[in-house]
Amino acid sequence: MNLPKRIRIKGWNDTLNQMNNFGFEDVFRFFLNYEAKNSENSCDYLLKKMHFHWKTMKNAITKGLEKPNITTSKFIQGGAFHMKQFALSGHSLLDSSYSIMISRILAVAELNACMGKIVAAPTAGSCGIIPGVLLSVAEKHKISEKNLVESLFVAGGIGEIISIRASLSGSTHGCQAEVGSASAMAAGALVYMMEGNLEMIESAAAFALKNILGLVCDPIAGRVEIPCIKRNVLGGCNALASAEMALAGIATNIPLDEVIDAMASIGNLIPCSLKETSQGGLAITPSALVLQNQIKDLKG
Amino acid sequence: MSLFDVIGPIMIGPSSSHTAGAAKIGLLARRIYHRSISKVSIILYNSFADTGPGHGTMHALAGGLLGLAMDDEKIPLSLEIAKNLGVEFVFHFREDPEKHPNYVTLEFWEENEISQTISGISIGGGHARIIEIDGNKVEFSGRHDMLIMTYKDICGMVALVGELLARHQINIAYMQISRDANQEKALAVLKLDASVPDNVIETLRKNEAVFSVVAIPRWKETLDESS
Repeated sequence: MNLPKRIRIKGWNDTLNQMNNFGFEDVFRFFLNYEAKNSENSCDYLLKKMHFHWKTMKNAITKGLEKPNITTSKFIQGGAFHMKQFALSGHSLLDSSYSIMISRILAVAELNACMGKIVAAPTAGSCGIIPGVLLSVAEKHKISEKNLVESLFVAGGIGEIISIRASLSGSTHGCQAEVGSASAMAAGALVYMMEGNLEMIESAAAFALKNILGLVCDPIAGRVEIPCIKRNVLGGCNALASAEMALAGIATNIPLDEVIDAMASIGNLIPCSLKETSQGGLAITPSALVLQNQIKDLKG
Repeated sequence: MSLFDVIGPIMIGPSSSHTAGAAKIGLLARRIYHRSISKVSIILYNSFADTGPGHGTMHALAGGLLGLAMDDEKIPLSLEIAKNLGVEFVFHFREDPEKHPNYVTLEFWEENEISQTISGISIGGGHARIIEIDGNKVEFSGRHDMLIMTYKDICGMVALVGELLARHQINIAYMQISRDANQEKALAVLKLDASVPDNVIETLRKNEAVFSVVAIPRWKETLDESS
């Protein structure tokens, strides 16, 4: 295989074209080589690095579920821990593995808010989605750690495409760019993990992102807590549903690249008051202002 | 961008720009200052000042200045660690619309005098840049091996450094010179393709016209399997 010194991609379609040109059938292999070329590292090293990232994600889940997490603002008081107790109580609305997945997503997002160690994926504010969803599905279907780590390259590749065509930052394009992107990345990775084909990966990511288009970033008191932590759960459940629809053979009518472009154009139309500035939306509701006032003297 | 900017960085939460990026500024500044730290005035601007306290920005900056990496779980305890070490961090909060939203100035004090001033910005995703040293505009993020020196503003200094580096087969990727005419003092910031050997640093330090030399090795990744 004769690869150029650097590989540049413009989108999902372009990725498929380049895979074709360079003779890649496996999208994970393509993104692994993409990263190896652009970062001038060996594939072995990058696989080891991604394993290390996965290990850190799993540690965050474990740590976030150890005890009730309480943030310095006291806005969050043990959500993940309560969710885990509920999952174990047998009262789950569906299968308990679904409730456990929710508790894992909450665990990582809460740990982040408590200044714990997490992997931004793609951002710190959306860090619970990918670890929570991937671990739960991998566990249920006895997916090997090797396959799971490979699927993280697919997630990374989808995120890379979003960052190229739009942005992954809430201050640029709102929550859709953080939770929406994480959800699309997780959906694509799930399909890859379950051995779905390239069209299914694209559809899963497109569904996930379409479902979250327009979501604004309006955190209370400027903290990555309300509504961010529960929105991670939204992103996780949406990823799961999107991956299932794609695996069922439902195909997206709007290609992923166009969905990403739509996200960028919507993001540009969202006023600044709803892009991480806490000057609109939920952040200025009467109750949010009361909460904000409660912590105004807190320096931590 | 790297895929590991998308799945990553590994960091202490809650914010890649306000926590991880802040820690990185502290770490970069510590490497430039290169002396033991006794007191630092930390001036936070704009978004760093507004939402910094809710994002652990102060803990992260202090942690970085104490040498803690952006994924070090001791970052939330950095202010207490500083107290135990007898290091004083004083925080100020300011607004300046002319400056970047996530801007911080670090004034390093030595015996009731400011001995160095370093400013940095956090640009998102845990990335940060140092943009000013002692009033001179610079720009670097730690990706290269660096050589930073201050010297008397006289002819031939650039040639001296260039020749010395060439003799050791070190290629200069980028070089920036600025000067303070009032003080007759110049600052050179060099980005290099290889690290600077100790004997080169010694040779430069021995030169009478050279005031200070700091070599900063490029940011090295560590896969710490123990953590």
